[in-house]
Amino acid sequence: MTSLTLCHAEPRRLGPLGTASALLLPIAVVNAIGFLWPVVNLLKMSFREAQASGALGAGYNLDTWTNALTDSFTLELITNSVGVSLLITVLTLIASYPIALYLHRSTGTWRTVLMVLVVAPLLTSAVVRTYGWIAILSDRGLVANALMALGMAEPPRLMFNLTGVVIGLTEILMPYMILALLSGFGRLDPRLEEAALTLGASPLKTFWRVVLPLTAPGMALGGLLCFVLAISSFVTPKLLGGGRVFLLATEIYDQAIVTLNWPLAAALSMIVLVVFGISLTLYARALRRIA
Amino acid sequence: MIHAEPAEMTRLAQGQGFLSLRGLTRRYDHFTAVDDLNLDVAKGELVAFLGPSGCGKTTSLRMIAGLVPASSGHIVVDGRDLTGVAPYKRDMGLVFQSYALFPHMDIARNVAFGLEMRKVPKAEAAQRVKEAIAMVRLTGREHHRPAQLSGGQQQRVALARALVVRPSILLLDEPLSNLDAKLRDEMRTEIRDIQKRLGITAIFVTHDQMEALTICDKVVVMNHGRLEQVGTPHEIYEHPKTAFVAGFVGRINRLSGRASGGVAQVAGITVSAPGFEGDVDVMVRPHRMVLSTGPAPADAGLHQLSGTVTRATFAGDILEYEVEAAGTLLKTEASTRGGEALLAPGTPVTLSWRPQDTFVYAAS
Amino acid sequence: MDERPVSPALKIAAGLMFLFLLAPLLVVLPISFSGDDFMAFPPSSWSVKWYGAIFANSVMMNAFWISLALAFVVTVLSLGIGLPAAYALVRLKPPGAEALSNLFSAPLLLPTIVLGLALLLVFAPMGLIGSFQGLVAAHLIVTLPYAVRVLSTALANLPLTVEEAAGMLGARPLTVFFRVTLPMMRSGLVSTTALCFLVSFDEVVLSLFMTGPRLQTLPVAMYNHVDQQADPMAAAISVLLVVLTLAVVLVVDRTAGLTRTFVK
Repeated sequence: MTSLTLCHAEPRRLGPLGTASALLLPIAVVNAIGFLWPVVNLLKMSFREAQASGALGAGYNLDTWTNALTDSFTLELITNSVGVSLLITVLTLIASYPIALYLHRSTGTWRTVLMVLVVAPLLTSAVVRTYGWIAILSDRGLVANALMALGMAEPPRLMFNLTGVVIGLTEILMPYMILALLSGFGRLDPRLEEAALTLGASPLKTFWRVVLPLTAPGMALGGLLCFVLAISSFVTPKLLGGGRVFLLATEIYDQAIVTLNWPLAAALSMIVLVVFGISLTLYARALRRIA
Repeated sequence: MIHAEPAEMTRLAQGQGFLSLRGLTRRYDHFTAVDDLNLDVAKGELVAFLGPSGCGKTTSLRMIAGLVPASSGHIVVDGRDLTGVAPYKRDMGLVFQSYALFPHMDIARNVAFGLEMRKVPKAEAAQRVKEAIAMVRLTGREHHRPAQLSGGQQQRVALARALVVRPSILLLDEPLSNLDAKLRDEMRTEIRDIQKRLGITAIFVTHDQMEALTICDKVVVMNHGRLEQVGTPHEIYEHPKTAFVAGFVGRINRLSGRASGGVAQVAGITVSAPGFEGDVDVMVRPHRMVLSTGPAPADAGLHQLSGTVTRATFAGDILEYEVEAAGTLLKTEASTRGGEALLAPGTPVTLSWRPQDTFVYAAS
Repeated sequence: MDERPVSPALKIAAGLMFLFLLAPLLVVLPISFSGDDFMAFPPSSWSVKWYGAIFANSVMMNAFWISLALAFVVTVLSLGIGLPAAYALVRLKPPGAEALSNLFSAPLLLPTIVLGLALLLVFAPMGLIGSFQGLVAAHLIVTLPYAVRVLSTALANLPLTVEEAAGMLGARPLTVFFRVTLPMMRSGLVSTTALCFLVSFDEVVLSLFMTGPRLQTLPVAMYNHVDQQADPMAAAISVLLVVLTLAVVLVVDRTAGLTRTFVK
């Protein structure tokens, strides 16, 4: 065997594993410094003690957590956030479903144009779109002026309250929902509807019995996506709520930047993550039931 | 074919042929794709690797190319052991089933790529690219992109690209399987002509027995990762060593019989079966069975079976029959050269064939 | 799929919802040409003075240049770090490649408000808040997962045989990568560039945590501006941003195919 030496093998090759490690090193460093370490640090921070000055106590304890979880304001914050996010999710689903179904049935250039219209808002800053909603919902905005032109003396306030936040977030989350629905519509073969129709089902019955069940996985995915995005959204509630709508995300920012109570902000963040985890579990369970 | 014992390996590595494979093996976690392949290919030979999909023929080719590392064994070309050498240092040409042309380069750049890698001077490279493109009859298409060419033209570019670097060995991986039937026949002869003209050693992987028989000097039949038989097309067809080869190359009728004392009893007749004992499979090719009506022509030299036509099909050039004889369905065919009419099902017939057309194998 | 009639009820419902979806972008355009000193819709007079106001506003102009430089640096780094990573994960498949690729996309699963806070707590003691480097690092956390994912998909969709063919013709691995793999990934590279650029340029939540009074990105400056006074200048900036976004989307659509890039 010795006469068969591999004289052509390269002398200083890293080998596939060495090369892979070298290529993955930069991203691993970024991930460790910018993700793993901060998240672990965040968890640790929630067990630190906040002092009035914004400084941190030396040791670790459960004070922040016990305070947060016994404080009625925090509990209201959590139930409010979850409730509002659920409402927004349902509204987003209702508003997005017709668009997704229509897109699924359109073809060619027209479909491309519509896709651009769906995706373009997604790529536009949330600040810009929220600003658009201010223009529509404010006291001198489109809706108020239109209602006054119709003779209403005092149009209802649509901004700086929960109504504005719900309307704005519903619109802002629609593209995500539409894309999620579309990805789930793959199973919806129009021939199935035709089959149902030929079997004597009315269009409405066909929708309830055939279309809706087949699109359920897409709806579940879109629902999950919108719920987690709603509960963690910050810009829209802040601008459209005008400081009068208190949600988990806005409170995290205020505690971190304004009050400088980092342990509380960290604990609230952890609560958001727990809500995330619960919704993921529910989603997985729902998906199993549908499948 | 030479079976190498490990001890002999060093001597054999010097090379009996231009290309020698010694105990070439590729194991994966759950199966062995190629098992102990030994083969010698002489310079200038066109050798087919023939077998059903999954038989290991493509894996063998890719091991020769260096694209799949061998688990054990050796690949020796012209006395040089290439086992473990990177593909880009092997100096082989490979034509892929999918052509694998560079989509972002025009035809001339595609063909010139290998010369560029070998740092061939510009003027010489341009001349050789021109000749290669002329050789595959694509002059005038130099600046087309691959996507603008038909499948057959793309395959010719792939061939030119592989050959322009004058590789030591040309490897062809099912080069014709993506072409339609008519183009396939054309390309088959074209590949053969070019290979003969250049005198290049070539390996041609195919699952199509017609391709293997018609253009190759030697056919290597593989099954389940093992080599079944190596031989000329004539040997493979007329003297298949195993039941698999007999069944895979050409069509076959199979009869079950019992052998003892050098002969086998099958369907009431006796055939020669030297060296066999116990259950045997007796095989005869359909078109070697001559079908006749009326009283059987008395010829002691022929094997004969009486039966009844159960199915008759008119297929243009030939008439295809299924005949039930001695409880077995046998296929046969008749020429339409003399304007023969199709026999009706139920017609009593006799099938006769020459003893040398009878293959006997131990029952599987 | 062949043509099938769409019921009028669906058409009307979809049309109304499209109107709702595009409403904020549709009203922004007329307001940006408002001649009023405050935001009202419809405006009582028309002018282009708010576009002029942008260029006279040093805060906005500074923020714009910072955002542009930031998006550029972040995009270059995302490609420079993401491309080797995608190549390693897809082509070299080291043990645990699946788990690694999940870990690298994990930052996308984290709500930006949580990620922003987590970064603030780590970067503040290091003095990185209000610094360009801090912003780059923060943006990189969210653009890299996109880059790795899009590039991995692009790479996985390439026929391996073409690269093998180059190898058989004598090209070394590095040559194969630069002469064959990279040119064939063109559309994936365009998509990645556009995506990273837009994500960084539009990113607001992380930036709010990372910016200081000296250093603001354009979305942060706009956020602060709108928070204080929603005058028509924000509309003018919005229109310019939408035009920029559409331009990028069109370029991507022309070179790479829009749906392929952003859907799946």
